[in-house]
Amino acid sequence: MCKFSNPNGAPINMNYRLKKADAAQEREKSVLGTAVRRLLPLMKEEKRAVAIALVAIFITSATTLIAPVIIAHTIDTYIQNKIFSGVVEFSLLLLFIYIVGAISNYIQVRTMGAVGRRVLFNLRNSIFNKLESLPVAFFNQNKAGDLISRINNDTDKLNQFFSQALMQFASNLVLIVGAGVFLLVINWRLGAASLVPAAIVLIMTQLLSPWVKRTNLASLRTLGGMSGEIQESLNNFKVIVAFNRLDYFRDKFKESNAANYAASIKAGIANNTFTPIYTLASTIGQLIVLAYGIYLVSAGSFTIGLLIGFILYVNNFYNPLRQLASVWSSLQLALAGLDRISEVLALESDMTVATDETRDRPGDDSILTFDHVSFGYPDAGIDVLHDISFTLAKGKTYALVGPTGGGKTTTASLMARLYDPTKGMVYLAGRDIRSYDPKERSNKIGFILQEPFLFSGTVRENILYGNDEYASYTTEEVAALLERANLASLLSRFSEGLETKVTSSNDAISLGQKQLIAFMRAVLRKPDILILDEATANIDTVTEQLLDDILKKLPASTTRVIIAHRLNTIENADEIYFVNAGTVTQAGTMEHAVDMLLHGKRAS
Amino acid sequence: MNTQESVSKCMPDKISQPTSKQPSIWGLLRPYTFLIVLLVVLTIGANALNLAVPQIMARAIDTYAGGHFVLADLVLEFSLVALFIFLLTYAQNIVQVYASERVARDLRLDLSAKISVQPYEYIDRITPSKLLTNLTSDIDAVKSFVSQAIVALISSVFLIVGATVLLLLLDWRLGLAVLSIVPIIAVTFFYVLGRVRKLFTRSQEAIDWLNSVINESILGSALIRLLNSQQYEYQKFLAANTEARSIGMSILKLFSSLIPVITLCTNLATLVILALGGHFVIQGSMTLGDFTAFNSYLMILIFPILIIGFMSNVIAQATASYGRIALVLHAPDEKKTGSLKVELMGDIKVSDVTVLFGEKAALKDVSFEAKGGTKTAIIGPTAAGKTQLLYLLTGLLAPTSGTIEFDGRDINEYDKESLHHQIGFVFQDSVLFNLSLRENIAFSNTVKDADIDLAIRTAELDDFIDTLPQGLDTIVSERGTSLSGGQKQRIMLARALALSPKILLLDEFTARVDTKTERTIFENIFKNYPGITLVSVTQKIATVEAYDQIILLMEGEVLARGTHEELMKTSPEYVQIFESQRSTNQYELQT
Repeated sequence: MCKFSNPNGAPINMNYRLKKADAAQEREKSVLGTAVRRLLPLMKEEKRAVAIALVAIFITSATTLIAPVIIAHTIDTYIQNKIFSGVVEFSLLLLFIYIVGAISNYIQVRTMGAVGRRVLFNLRNSIFNKLESLPVAFFNQNKAGDLISRINNDTDKLNQFFSQALMQFASNLVLIVGAGVFLLVINWRLGAASLVPAAIVLIMTQLLSPWVKRTNLASLRTLGGMSGEIQESLNNFKVIVAFNRLDYFRDKFKESNAANYAASIKAGIANNTFTPIYTLASTIGQLIVLAYGIYLVSAGSFTIGLLIGFILYVNNFYNPLRQLASVWSSLQLALAGLDRISEVLALESDMTVATDETRDRPGDDSILTFDHVSFGYPDAGIDVLHDISFTLAKGKTYALVGPTGGGKTTTASLMARLYDPTKGMVYLAGRDIRSYDPKERSNKIGFILQEPFLFSGTVRENILYGNDEYASYTTEEVAALLERANLASLLSRFSEGLETKVTSSNDAISLGQKQLIAFMRAVLRKPDILILDEATANIDTVTEQLLDDILKKLPASTTRVIIAHRLNTIENADEIYFVNAGTVTQAGTMEHAVDMLLHGKRAS
Repeated sequence: MNTQESVSKCMPDKISQPTSKQPSIWGLLRPYTFLIVLLVVLTIGANALNLAVPQIMARAIDTYAGGHFVLADLVLEFSLVALFIFLLTYAQNIVQVYASERVARDLRLDLSAKISVQPYEYIDRITPSKLLTNLTSDIDAVKSFVSQAIVALISSVFLIVGATVLLLLLDWRLGLAVLSIVPIIAVTFFYVLGRVRKLFTRSQEAIDWLNSVINESILGSALIRLLNSQQYEYQKFLAANTEARSIGMSILKLFSSLIPVITLCTNLATLVILALGGHFVIQGSMTLGDFTAFNSYLMILIFPILIIGFMSNVIAQATASYGRIALVLHAPDEKKTGSLKVELMGDIKVSDVTVLFGEKAALKDVSFEAKGGTKTAIIGPTAAGKTQLLYLLTGLLAPTSGTIEFDGRDINEYDKESLHHQIGFVFQDSVLFNLSLRENIAFSNTVKDADIDLAIRTAELDDFIDTLPQGLDTIVSERGTSLSGGQKQRIMLARALALSPKILLLDEFTARVDTKTERTIFENIFKNYPGITLVSVTQKIATVEAYDQIILLMEGEVLARGTHEELMKTSPEYVQIFESQRSTNQYELQT
């Protein structure tokens, strides 16, 4: 996953496939220290809240411990001596303590719950932010469903840990340490003996934790896989219905469901191993105390009364330890979730802004230049474009023609820096295209994609999408704007004009309509270069003539790049490039281009 | 008429389906009675043995005091108990895991089976994002309910009832005084749970929202990067995430008060015993021994109440989630299809079909006929209703009024499966799955290799596939991003042809394929699939001039119908379209 540079300075494409955590990482000891080291950074902002919660925990525990003492004292001193006024006094004291306990309990639950919620909120934001910073190549390689699962499900495991388990963890840890010290102070030999099983449990926990985490990771992974399967099937439901392949996809779902079931069972069993083991340790601890204690008593160095008390204290040690067992597995689950989240967060975009003025070409007055550009998609292994060089001048119209799969869309994608070339350079207005700030670049380049995409909302929102200049315009202002840009006639294709509702999946909007929206969106941005990648392929030829007129009326400095199969869309081009088998050749005339199209061998 | 009869026959059982009743999450457990009973038995067994440990210890100390203590006996007895506790706890945990995972797995299967028989329109309306939440997050909530809440609840209720009886037997006055806190707790519970269930439903809806924002930001990733609108997408996500957080905080607010209130109530019970019981003891109407016993029974009572308090969170969430799942599970079934399974001749007859989307008519009184083996073109401006017409022919869309017939029999008479096997549909947008090319084309395990082969050759894909190192076994990415538009479109065609269909429906197939390839492909189709009935939605007149009929569709209405020559004479709109393509024709006639 590291970056290499080739002599030309262009980085080789990064592999964005989210892989299984590598073996080394899985073998990492998931002991407390590691856990704390990994979880603490998430709570950087929460120091105050955690401190408050810890104080609240302390007060709650204290009231829980004091209450029985007060009850015992009342019984011994007042009830046995039949002094009712004392009973009333201490009852009131008890009431006060209970109320304090209730309040501190409330603060504790509320504060820690809020910490969990905020951690969840921030984690989700940072993953989404990370996704947005990654280039298109990342999305080509990962399934939507799995990414959704990482943002929604995996983060929730951390929330659950922070809002519920962490508090139990803290309070039990305090109780355990306290009880342990107490045991050693009362009688260090007996104390040490009673703690032996705990030591064994500690070692076992060390040994088991990586396994538990691994099974949880596997389970989360199958959940992500299943979610990917569901997402893919549901998004493409119409194809599945029309081809009557519901059975096939039901089988595929069954398969991933079964895989998830198997992995979850394994994880569930692993998670539930701690409880029986901790319980066993606590029983054995009691046995040791009893047997060793009786030995000590018979040796005369201990009394029966002290032994009975000691046994009670041993319980105080082992009860919280037992509760810690379930908390511990929830920690492992949270860590597994964090692993999957970190896989995303660790990715870095390889398409950074690289300023290197030595590569600029100051005398160059062309708008776009390809200089010995080659490109291949990661994982594909073969180059799609080979050593391409050409120059586009300001204000001219260019047509890219050629058979399907020849590399037209790839060429256009490199013009808009959706990808960086593997070799060679692309210059935008005489500067290395990589040195442009994304905002500046996207203002210069308008690219109407082959497959138009709409966001859920209205036609107006989609036309203004990503347009800072007109974002605040009212419907009337937008209508006037479209009028000025000669685009108003296109709106008649929408039943409710600008306010027509659209969704990303809905078929109530036709592909041709989507292309119209994409066209309006791009033209309104007034780019220096406007690239149309088969952008009007599904629009009827009469409307298409309208679009041609609009294109002709664009400012004289606008460079147009048109990719199309329909020959009438390119006959107005100043120059025609023939793109085939990853090479770009200039076609002299329209006739020459048509000849190449009709008689040339398709390379793919 | 036959059709109406068959339709009306299946109506009654559809209507009689109970949909209004709020489904109980407990009903969900009925098929797992054995596992649940086993779970309860194991839990009680393990708890009972745990209670035995103090007794063994007490007896050991007594026997030691009595002077006849045998260490070996103690160790043996104790070890046995320890071993059994270990085994029972382990078994209980395993059964718990199995029970909850099986409930989750089966519920997922039921849900997916239900979804898979829904019409396309249903999925579109409910949205994939919500169904994804149903199948993952909602089912997870139900799973936690089974794995955590059931055992806790059953043993808690057990203990509460037992302790209550003991309290009342010991001293009914004090017992009643203590039990008076129960209504307070109950009211708090119902108040909080009632409010929190709505919140949980809303919280799951916020997850739906998050899902759809993430989904769109992934599907539209290229556009977002082109327009540099990442910040805007982040704002959308932030809005959904903030909503999720604020609902989470509201839930937290309710729950963080629930637990202290319950604890306080139970503690007040202790207080009542101390004050009132102390009074009774001082009065002499109660012995100190009974008073002590009363106190310890109260402890037994308090613990399960607290447990229920903790579990109410899980239960409320599961109930809300199950309510959402049940809505899908109990959605009315799609109208049953007919049972007719015959080989089609390919005659198509559409009579007076109207399709309404709300108020607006997508198609108005559309009628046409196409004989088997003929070629029909549908031409018309953007948003004329061309795609909807093809959807009608595949049954993806049902007409609001009017009929569609194949070979003179209504579409509803046919078995849907058999019909879909004989109609190949090439959608205008390319949909590829993250599967191998072979699976993307065959789309099933049953299609014969020879059929795939013929389909691939017909779609002119063989050269392309030969260049791939892994050939047909090459895995295509979810959005088919490394394939060109034309390649995707040809894969879609091969997919339709692999069925060896009697009727082929093409939706703007020619849009992304160059003229030369297009021409070869059509020659291949007519050569390799003789007698196929073709209905092609297109923009290019040149390709369809020789077709048997051309239908001009505008604003959802059939404006003209006939051969190219007829339309050139009768339809000015058609002539206008023709004129707009003249220059192209001139080049294409060169060959």
